Amino acid sequence: MAHLTVALSENVLRTSVALLVGAVRWEKQGAKDFGAFSAGYHVKGHLEGGGVDLGSDGSIEVKELDVKWDRFQVTLGLDVPEICVGGGCIDLPWPLPDICLPRICVFSGDPDISISPDLAAFVAQEISFTGRIKVRYFDAGAPPPPGFDPCSFLAQVLSGTGVLPPTPTTNQWQVFVDPQSIDVDLFDFADIVGDIVEDALTAAVEALIPGGWVRDLILAIVGGVADLIRFVLDIPDEIDEWLSDLFNVSFGLLDFLAQLVAELFGSCVPVYRIDDPFEVLPAKVTTSVLLSGAPVTLVPVEVPVRGLSVTVNDVELVVQADVGA
Amino acid sequence: MAFTDESDVFGSVHEDGINLVVRHLMRQRPSLFNYATTTFAARPDLFCRPIDAAPAVLKAQNPLFTEQEPLPVFGAPFPLGIDFCVQVTDARVDFSPQDIDLPHELGELPPQSFAFRTSACAGISCPPKEVIDEFLPWVERELLAQQELAVGRVEEGRAAQRSTARLPGAGRASATFGAAERSALATKPGLALEPVRGEGRPRDTVILPTRQLQCFCLDVFAVGRFEWGSVPGSEQAWLKPRLDGLEIVDLGPQPLEDSLECYVTTVLRLGILPQLMVPTERLVLDITEVMEEQGLKLGKQVRLEPSSAPADVPHNPAVEDDMLKVFAKLTVSGGA
Repeated sequence: MAHLTVALSENVLRTSVALLVGAVRWEKQGAKDFGAFSAGYHVKGHLEGGGVDLGSDGSIEVKELDVKWDRFQVTLGLDVPEICVGGGCIDLPWPLPDICLPRICVFSGDPDISISPDLAAFVAQEISFTGRIKVRYFDAGAPPPPGFDPCSFLAQVLSGTGVLPPTPTTNQWQVFVDPQSIDVDLFDFADIVGDIVEDALTAAVEALIPGGWVRDLILAIVGGVADLIRFVLDIPDEIDEWLSDLFNVSFGLLDFLAQLVAELFGSCVPVYRIDDPFEVLPAKVTTSVLLSGAPVTLVPVEVPVRGLSVTVNDVELVVQADVGA
Repeated sequence: MAFTDESDVFGSVHEDGINLVVRHLMRQRPSLFNYATTTFAARPDLFCRPIDAAPAVLKAQNPLFTEQEPLPVFGAPFPLGIDFCVQVTDARVDFSPQDIDLPHELGELPPQSFAFRTSACAGISCPPKEVIDEFLPWVERELLAQQELAVGRVEEGRAAQRSTARLPGAGRASATFGAAERSALATKPGLALEPVRGEGRPRDTVILPTRQLQCFCLDVFAVGRFEWGSVPGSEQAWLKPRLDGLEIVDLGPQPLEDSLECYVTTVLRLGILPQLMVPTERLVLDITEVMEEQGLKLGKQVRLEPSSAPADVPHNPAVEDDMLKVFAKLTVSGGA
C-alpha cells in the first residue's frame, strides 16, 4: 500500500471544473492600421458548460466547453480616396455671366467613416479536450537531451515571460495533462454578420455623400458604394470570410484561445510539481539549542518522494506516493 | 472498491510512511531527540547510542544535541555538576491492526486505535572514586571558608583577595571558589568548566570529569484513539486524541514503575493531548479563500470539510488497515 494516497471523486472534479469555468473571464482589445482601412476589436468573454468525464482507460475528457462572448465589438475605419466634383467655370459670351460649378469633395477625412458593431450575439465557440495524466521525473542534474527539445524551449520561453517559474534547480516530480485531442472552433462568422457589417459600412459611406447631382456624379465615378467598400478593403469574396481571416489571422485571437488551452492542458507545462526531496520543515534559526544562546541555523528537514503516480479510472483520480528511505 | 465511494475526497497515510518521516526527522534534526551537557560536543563517544545524523547536518555543522545544564550536585559549596544525556532512539506508530508487540499490560490493540512506541536511553556520568577524592579537599576547603565567613573570622586581606577572584555575578556558593581554583581544576584531564552562558545565566558550574556514562534504556508504549467530542464553551465539534493506556517496560520496582507511568499518563492526558485537539473549523479548507489568494474569484462559497461520522462514514478519521484515513466532502453554497 502506498504511504500517501489522495483520491478525488469524479463529482469533485466536475464541481471543480464547473467552478473554474464560472470564474474564468477575460477582456482583450487591440487595433491595427492597414493603410486603406483600420480595424480594432474589443472582446470580453467567459466560459460556460464543460462537462468532465473520467474514462476507465485513464483519460480525462472536458467536453463542450463553450466560449461565450459578452462583447465582440469590431471597429472598422475606412479611408476612402478623396473624390472631388465640380469646381470648374464655363465661359459664356458677354453679356452673359460665366457659370461656375461649386467644387465638392467627399471622403476627405482619415478615416472617413468608422463603425463599431457589437457582434457578440453572433459569435460562439466550443472547446473540447481529451487528455491523460502523465507523471515525469525531472532530474536537475541530467544533461539536456540531444537535439531540439520543444518542451525545454517552451518552458524557457514561458519562464522568460514570467508565465512559468524558472527551470527548477532541484529534482522534481512533475504532473502533466497530456492532450490527446484539442478541438477549438475557428472564428467562423455567419453570412448575417457579413451583411450587418456591409450594411453598416454602406450606410456610413452614403451618409457622407451629398444628395442631388453630386451624389449621382460620385456614384457614377465609384460604380456603387458596395464596390467602393470592397475596393478599399480589398475583399475578393464575402465579407464574413474576410472578417474570419481578420480575427483568426491578423488579430491572432485564435492563437490567443489556443494558447489559453495549451497553457491549461499543455504537455510541456506541468500542472503540478513537487520537489524531491520534499521539504517538511524549513530551515530554522534557533537560539535554544546551545546553552550560550548563540543562534544556530538548522538545516531544513527533507523527505525523499518515491514512486509518485496519478491514475484515473471511471470514478476517481488517485494520487499516490511513497516516502523514500 | 473505490477510495471515494463514501466521500468526495479521500486521504490516507500509511504507518510505514509516518515512521519513515520520523526517521528522517531524527536524522536531520537530531537536536530534537538528543539532550546532553556540553561535554558531549567534544566527546560524542560518550552518548549511550551513537547519533546517526544526515550528511547535510554534519556538513552544516548543526549541533547534534540540545545542550543542557549538568545535573547539579546538591549541597556542594560551589556550582558542581555531572554530565548526563537523554536520547530518544526510536519512535514509531502502529495503526490497527496491530503489528508491533505490545506489553501484556496493554493487551491487544483495539480496532480504530493506534499504538506508539518510544525507545529512550539516558545516562549520567558516575565520577570514579579517585575523582571524588580529588575534589573532596576543594569542597572541604570551600566549606570551611564559607563557615569562616559566616562567623566573621576571615582575614580581611584574604577576603579582599578572594573577592577579586570572584566570577562575574557569582552567588553565595562561589564566594570563595575563585578563578585561581577554577583554573587549577581546568588543567585536570577530562574536567570541563561549563562556558559562561547568555544573559540570565549568572555563574559557571564546574563539571566533574566524565570517563564513561552509565546508561539505561526504556521502552514506553502508549495506546490511543481519536474521538469527536464537545468542549465546554464551544459549540463546534472537536477532534481529540485520547490515551487509553501507557506502559513503561521493565522498570522496577513495581511501585516506581506505577508511579512513573501514572505521572507520564497524567502529563499526557491533562497536559499534552488536550493541546492537540482540533476544532472542526481548523479542519475545513476554505477553497474560496485559497483561490482568491491565487487571484481567482469563484463567486461561491466552496469548502472542503470533514465528512460526518457516522452519518457519512463509519469513522473519520479512521484508523484501520495500518493507515490513518480521512474523508472529506466538498460543499458549494450561494454567493461568496
